[in-house]
Amino acid sequence: MAWTVFSVMIVLLLLGFPMMIPLLAGTLTGFMMIFGNFGQLETAVQQIIAGIRPASLIAVPMFIFAADIMTRGQSAGRLIDMVMSFVGHLKGGLAVSTAAACTMFGAVSGSTQATVVAVGSPLRPRMLEAGYKDSFVLALIVNSSDIAFLIPPSIGMIIYGVVSNTSIAELFIAGIGPGLLILLCFSIFSVIYAVRNDVPTEPKAAWAARFKAVQKALWPMGFPAIIIGGIYGGIFSPTEAAAACVLYALILEVLVFRELDLKGVYETAKSTGLITAVVFILVGAGAAFSWVISFAQIPQTVLGAVGIDDMGAIGVLFVISIAFFVGCMFVDPIVVILVLVPIFAPVVDAVGLDPVHVGIIITLQVAIGSATPPFGCDIFTAIAVFKRPYMEVIRGTPPFIVILLTVSVALIFFPQIALFLRDIAFN
Amino acid sequence: MLTDDTSSLPGFLGTVDLAIAKLEAIMLALGVLLMALNTVANVLGRVFWESIYFSEELNRILIILITFAGISYAARHGRHIRMSAIYDTLPPWPRKLLTIFISLVTAIFMLGLAWYALQFLLTTMGRGRVLPALQIPVWITLCWVPLGFFLTGLQYVLTAIKNMIEPDIYLSTNVLEGYDNDEREV
Amino acid sequence: DTWRYAFEEAETEVQGVFAQKFKEEIEANSDHEVQLFPFGTLGESADIMEQAQAGILQFVDQSPGFTGALIPEAQVFFVPYLLPQDEATLQEFFRNSKAINEMFPELYAEQGLELLTMFPEGEVCMTTQEEVRSPEDLDGVKFRVMTNPLLVESYNQFGATPTPLPWGEVYGALQTGIIQGQENPGFFLDSTKMYEVTEYVTCIGHNNFTTAMMANKDFYDGLSEEDQKLVENATDVAFDHILDYQAGLQDKSLENIKSAKPGMTINILSEEERQPFMDTAPAVEDAFIEMTGESGKEILEQMKADLEAANAATN
Ligand code: NA
Ligand code: NA
Repeated sequence: MAWTVFSVMIVLLLLGFPMMIPLLAGTLTGFMMIFGNFGQLETAVQQIIAGIRPASLIAVPMFIFAADIMTRGQSAGRLIDMVMSFVGHLKGGLAVSTAAACTMFGAVSGSTQATVVAVGSPLRPRMLEAGYKDSFVLALIVNSSDIAFLIPPSIGMIIYGVVSNTSIAELFIAGIGPGLLILLCFSIFSVIYAVRNDVPTEPKAAWAARFKAVQKALWPMGFPAIIIGGIYGGIFSPTEAAAACVLYALILEVLVFRELDLKGVYETAKSTGLITAVVFILVGAGAAFSWVISFAQIPQTVLGAVGIDDMGAIGVLFVISIAFFVGCMFVDPIVVILVLVPIFAPVVDAVGLDPVHVGIIITLQVAIGSATPPFGCDIFTAIAVFKRPYMEVIRGTPPFIVILLTVSVALIFFPQIALFLRDIAFN
Repeated sequence: MLTDDTSSLPGFLGTVDLAIAKLEAIMLALGVLLMALNTVANVLGRVFWESIYFSEELNRILIILITFAGISYAARHGRHIRMSAIYDTLPPWPRKLLTIFISLVTAIFMLGLAWYALQFLLTTMGRGRVLPALQIPVWITLCWVPLGFFLTGLQYVLTAIKNMIEPDIYLSTNVLEGYDNDEREV
Repeated sequence: DTWRYAFEEAETEVQGVFAQKFKEEIEANSDHEVQLFPFGTLGESADIMEQAQAGILQFVDQSPGFTGALIPEAQVFFVPYLLPQDEATLQEFFRNSKAINEMFPELYAEQGLELLTMFPEGEVCMTTQEEVRSPEDLDGVKFRVMTNPLLVESYNQFGATPTPLPWGEVYGALQTGIIQGQENPGFFLDSTKMYEVTEYVTCIGHNNFTTAMMANKDFYDGLSEEDQKLVENATDVAFDHILDYQAGLQDKSLENIKSAKPGMTINILSEEERQPFMDTAPAVEDAFIEMTGESGKEILEQMKADLEAANAATN
């Protein structure tokens, strides 16, 4: 059954159908094969709706909205001007800043999609102006957003912790090491890219100019202050922080900078709604598809065929990595964690792996898979937000994927990359 | 900015089509604004007084509304995500035929889902489940789902027809193919 | 045949243990296969319930608290101090309660469900940042509860500020201080690591988390007499198994918590300390009757009669 379904999906995908159709066709084929007719398709509708309903997804439209207001107004420009005044003269400075901004944003957001939007929307135009190629810029944004999943808080880790009975606090701390390692690798790659492609630099800014840029960015610097202060001060949750950003962005652009009128706010809300719908129908269709996979017990069948019960610890970690990586290329990370973690639990236990180590590997694979074709949700988000064709969004991806996979392999052989901070904190 | 909202249909049908487009747009914008307002109000309520007990449910209702009002609006503006690598390499005539084929098949999927969504709505109505906090029937929150699928299907039917009668290739009723240059528009 | 059975918890939690025993029994005594679908694999609680009603799933486990959205009377399990506070009486109650074994099956049948059994999952305790000895200690405490009107009313009556929050955000919210307390059965406090982000566990005996196992009614009615008997027996075996498993589970969970975090304070309130909490029950009962009318009132009264009978039988 699995092969029929996947073949149908790939053919429709390649023909150029709207992306929801391959996912829905896979779902419908699955229903047909399970039940012999379409009588039970109400459940497909139920699952499409179930897919878009989780409370944490609210952060996505809210961050799209806030980022859109900031980018149309002055906030984003002023913030970036400030950063540029410090790093504009360095080769690859802006690219490294973008990756770093994604990592920092990860500290407030559990969602990779929200990171794509919030960091990518304001920074992409500036990187294009600075002379970076769009394929590099898009790939950098999409893949750096993976880091947000590893830096706490992370929805993925919370779900994993609950399903696998693992300490969430330990997972959170263990994610930081690999997160920073990836940032370091991306930064090095960005500098190499900038040197090799001879991306022009700006003249080094004088301190007077830097001071002026900081001054102009004072109001917009309220964003990180509000988000970080609000979350760690116990005023709102990461999801609610997104809505707080919307409020602050509206206050700045409508009242302080007077860049946006009510008509502008309406138009921005409308286009936010449009992008949300385009991405969420895919999230919903993906949920319906994963219901079919789960109902037909396909993961159990495939893993049984692989013979996972006879493998050693390293073998098990490789199978886990591949399973989560592939799973998240097709469906939502949360669903993949819910479905696969219980299936792997007995074998993880049997070979004596540290569940925190496994959790970090899974979180990393899930993040990578979300940024990987064909159905990675971060790619959908980038396409919808930046209005670029599918191929252009993924063209620059390969070097980043190679880096990420290298880190994954390193993490399998050197658990200490993840566990050393945990061991310091908890032992 | 989204260059709305012209209808490709003549006469009275055009007026109806335009009215639907306007309604979809209003749903989208209001849905997003209400969601922001609701979430912020809940935070303020919790900090200074007490939480809005139905806040989460209201957001769930709004996200369904936004998604299903949005998919037909997106179809109208040719904004649904697709992978066009192979499609783009084809010469005009096969490309036009493929566009018509894709539009018709997509329309069949959408209209089919509209039917099953309606059945799901009726089943839910029959069972009488309510939202725990708001205590209103769940089926009310689902009303836009069959409608959204139906209107999306209709848009794809119209796209197919438009491609049959016009010489150019249309991605949607409103949009000629080719990525436009106003990509800074979000 | 292949029978599919979905539940709201992980396979290692109480509902999962019940389901595994049920599967084992069915498969040992027949040629049928039972596939298990734990939490989240086929959707949320409400989703799997609908799938069972549609006949896609043959068996489903849903806690009456959630079923309250479908069968309002089921919310009676949120009325505090309606269930026995000690283990022996509780087991007696579930075995012989007329409300559970005779009245509820009729209500479930109206929704196309064959109620096979209800069983307790463990005493619900609070975890908080500050010590709780009396309702006064909950004053001003933002306390996360499920978005259910009766739970909200209960905690209002206890003196807390009930604060709804999606479950996925509870851990983080306790960590950063958005909320200062939440409640769950003992095994769940243990498995979801709530103790990592709170300082006190307080048990006041106000509730024992109850769940229900049911079958799609058309499916069940269509079974041969032999197969019905098979399902009935497997349910009975799993029920006995879960009561054995339950005995001591609460203590074991609390011990786990204590050994994972030695600094955690676990307070089991005394009879006297519980009294002020118990005094708030009538107000919640009134709210329940207001929501459910005559039929709710009947169930409530029967539950109280069953409670007395269980007390009489075990003391
Ligand atoms: Na994060
Ligand atoms: Na994905």
